[in-house]
Amino acid sequence: MGQETTKPKHVVDPNSAKYKLGQLAAQAYTDAMEAKARGEKIGWCASNFPVEIPETLGLYVVYPENQAAGIAARGGGERMCNVAEADGYSNDLCAYARISLAYAKLKDAPEQNMPMPDFVLCCNNICNCMIKWYENLAKELNIPMIMIDIPFNPDYEVSDAQVEYIKGQFWDAVHQLEEITGKKWSDERFKEVMASSGRASRAWIEATSQAKYVPSPFNGFDLLNHMAVMVTARGREAAGEAMETLLKEYKENHEKGLSTFRAEEKYRIMFEGIACWPWLRVTSTGLKSRGINMVTTIYADAFGYIYNDFDEMCRVYAEVPNSMNLERSRDKRIKLCKENHVEGLLVHTNRSCKLWSGFMPEMSRQIGEACNIPVASFDGDQADPRNFSEAQYDTRVQGLMEIMEANKGGK
Amino acid sequence: MAVNELLAQLHEVAVSPKKQLEKYLSEGKKVVAVAPVYTPQEIIHSMGLVPMGVWGADMEINEAKKYYPAFICSIMQTILELGIKGEYDGVSAIVIPSLCDSLKTLGQNWKYAVKNIPFIPMTYPQNRKPAYGLKFTKAGYARVISDLTIATGAQYSAFALTESIKIYNEHNAVMREFAEIASDADITAAQRSDVFKSAWFMLPEEHTAIVKQLNEELKAGPKAEGKVRVLITGILEDSPSLLKILDDNGIKVVFDDVAHESRQYRTDAPESGNPMDAMAQKFADMDNCTLLYDPEKKRVDYIVEQAKKHNAQGVIVLMTKFCDPEEFDYVPIKRACEAAGLMHLNIEVDRQMVNYEQANTMIQAFKEMF
Repeated sequence: MGQETTKPKHVVDPNSAKYKLGQLAAQAYTDAMEAKARGEKIGWCASNFPVEIPETLGLYVVYPENQAAGIAARGGGERMCNVAEADGYSNDLCAYARISLAYAKLKDAPEQNMPMPDFVLCCNNICNCMIKWYENLAKELNIPMIMIDIPFNPDYEVSDAQVEYIKGQFWDAVHQLEEITGKKWSDERFKEVMASSGRASRAWIEATSQAKYVPSPFNGFDLLNHMAVMVTARGREAAGEAMETLLKEYKENHEKGLSTFRAEEKYRIMFEGIACWPWLRVTSTGLKSRGINMVTTIYADAFGYIYNDFDEMCRVYAEVPNSMNLERSRDKRIKLCKENHVEGLLVHTNRSCKLWSGFMPEMSRQIGEACNIPVASFDGDQADPRNFSEAQYDTRVQGLMEIMEANKGGK
Repeated sequence: MAVNELLAQLHEVAVSPKKQLEKYLSEGKKVVAVAPVYTPQEIIHSMGLVPMGVWGADMEINEAKKYYPAFICSIMQTILELGIKGEYDGVSAIVIPSLCDSLKTLGQNWKYAVKNIPFIPMTYPQNRKPAYGLKFTKAGYARVISDLTIATGAQYSAFALTESIKIYNEHNAVMREFAEIASDADITAAQRSDVFKSAWFMLPEEHTAIVKQLNEELKAGPKAEGKVRVLITGILEDSPSLLKILDDNGIKVVFDDVAHESRQYRTDAPESGNPMDAMAQKFADMDNCTLLYDPEKKRVDYIVEQAKKHNAQGVIVLMTKFCDPEEFDYVPIKRACEAAGLMHLNIEVDRQMVNYEQANTMIQAFKEMF
């Protein structure tokens, strides 16, 4: 089975949100490379680690998950996974982790290089797999590991006990980093970072909510790319500006009857799960060719980090996808489906992600019932191309479309 | 009682947990299921309830497939399967910690798949050693107590917990002693496994009484000779087929780092001061486990140290398929064994395995290296 390759790049308007967001995402790598070259200590950072910490301290960090997705999207996933597997890592492990551990060994991947770390910043609010992956990185590279443990919350609301626990760890992490890097915490800078994060988050939520219009002014696959900025750069002022540009563009699209979904929007679905990066074009085309627009994903809600003070910030980090119980996860998705007039749910059963996939059958049943929409799932992987079958994907999407079509006829 | 009688008694318990459940229920006791890997059993015990371990079973999975994709470990899948099929009926509640991603999903699925047995979450901190970690552990215990009271009507008392801690510490000591004695005693891998497995289905004071006698008998009994001495590491080592292969090939288990076995008994709660503080301290003191944050990978050094201490010639990793934490730890374990000159073997195990031929071939080849 051949893996797809990336399309040739076309020129993007430098005033567009796409350009600005792309620049911000790329800047994380170049900034860290330059910092490393200057002799500064740089880190590798988990995607949902409180970015406020490195940002306030003025530390440059890069994101192994983002790198792994980039390597996979550009066709290097299988090669890197093979390197990790040859070292003894099971091919049942998360493919991001396998790619990252392979990179830690090879220190080179033409698809996406990044500087080697002097410390790793781990947060397990998305999964406990992060802990083991980062332990191994720290051990292999003989560097310190800083861990903020945000346990899976079995309850609907985050408890005060959990917030207090996170707060204690937050300051411990700050002090450890001050010691490692010599940089100092500044309350003033922290306020600025919180303000930037809030600005970017509000614009992101409003931009993604433009899918409430029929047709949607955007193709939901856009969000899979833009969310990288929300994860990694939202503490920067430029992120707020770029997200506001995105919002402006989506509003204009709606007013002018335009969309980044370049086909007639016949059906509207929610896509559940991490993108199938090695097969992004195939998964996107399989929808677009049928007039199916993926109008929303949980990322639309999840990466709006809106908080007013330190305690609220700690709480927000305990409310990311995969740290919430089934009921809360379900209700957030039901809200997105209803607000965005979703007609079907397409679930990526992601071999790399046991937590995301482990209660998805039950949750998606409940979402389907609550929203009265059909649910289809396909097997895939966020970064290992071997775990996806184009034929199965096609059949499942076709089946979903036929039910949506029948539902329209019945209305 | 002779060694064989004691072992037969423990074997009977190990293979018939349902009978044990019925026995306790018929005595008017309430039973609480405890899922892998760690739960505050002392607290459950102190409330007059019987904690019984649920680690799944070697069986085919049918009903749980409605909830789980195929790539979730078979321990979780079979716990859910047994719950759905009513094997745990009569149990008052199940305590499930969230120490790995699959355990997190077990709790969430349980609520809908097994509605007649309430799910009680136990949320442990990974940063368990600092003061804020200890405090969070106690918040988790308070939650368990409150849910247990709702589910069973049982009440918590600090006095009772102090007593239960003593009972558990004694059991820990007896089990640690057994592991040391079994290192040289003439006892099969299957018999050794029965001693650990039966502990999950008995009150600790009852189990302590039998194992104490067993230890005395084994100390006075013959020593194992002419065997290949190995340390076993992994989550579980209770498959009769696999244990038989070990025994048939003359493999002697001289020590273990198995979650279902010795990892349970390494750490005692302090017996002075507030017992709830003691329970939190116990969790903070626990180490050398794949499910507990271990940035220095001390578990890896521990395995090598214990292998050497017990004169093991090799290390067998029983890798529970789809167990992320163990799969991550395998690579550093392998490297550490190679550096220490210890032979090592990685055998993938699964609760749904029916054919052990490959494992047999691997173990035969392993044995021939010595």
